[in-house]
Amino acid sequence: MSTLIMIDHPPYGTWIGREALDMAFSLAAFDQPASLLFMGAGVNWLRKPQEAGSIGQKSVEKNLSAAQIFGIDAILADRAACEIYGLDENSLIKGVTLADADAALLSDYDHTTFAG
Amino acid sequence: MTDTSTQSFTLVITGAPYTSQAPQTALAFARAAVNLGHRLDRVFLYGDGVHLASALCAPPSDEPHWPEEWSRFLTDHSIPGVACIASALRRGLINETEQKRYELPAANLRAPFEIAGLGDWVEGRIKSARTLYFHAGD
Repeated sequence: MSTLIMIDHPPYGTWIGREALDMAFSLAAFDQPASLLFMGAGVNWLRKPQEAGSIGQKSVEKNLSAAQIFGIDAILADRAACEIYGLDENSLIKGVTLADADAALLSDYDHTTFAG
Repeated sequence: MTDTSTQSFTLVITGAPYTSQAPQTALAFARAAVNLGHRLDRVFLYGDGVHLASALCAPPSDEPHWPEEWSRFLTDHSIPGVACIASALRRGLINETEQKRYELPAANLRAPFEIAGLGDWVEGRIKSARTLYFHAGD
């Protein structure tokens, strides 16, 4: 049963994205196929470099770069959202695949969910 | 709407009571599902949804008491209610085990809710035919 966890909230403003990441890691820990799709303002999670220390938060860059080591199948970013936020190959963290967040993509997964 | 076969559900609530509509929408769904003979395998509270399991909510007497209504529903139908431990600890939702572990001054988890890891959510998704999410929206 494959799952796509979608994150459309920007990083740091709320805990929703961070807790979505925990959900994806949990699935991977229990050998359940899981991928992440960043869309809307959520693509800013994938921007490098991030210096979250000045607002008393931990950068999510490290969590995300470890995602595939922990068994996350893919980190996908919506191509159109990346264009809107000025993100390209040079400004995205490693391991991200650009995709079109459309019905065809979602139909590749048994379950799709937002964390909040 | 001719398919009336029995379904099994895991419900995930991520919106807090009195901040969002999520817990009451989920309760309305849960009551309707049980009334139609469907099975609820588990209710999983995640993120801000863990506030639903607080024993310390004291809304005005002319307002619905959502934690109490949910507790009663879960007890009446013997449905497990689980709050995610990581979400709960961050937000001050504590059972007696965690109170002792972290040497905190009080515990406030409302029965019959229990605290457990995201593994319970993973298990629910595998067990149930459908997993439904009740978010706060924004």
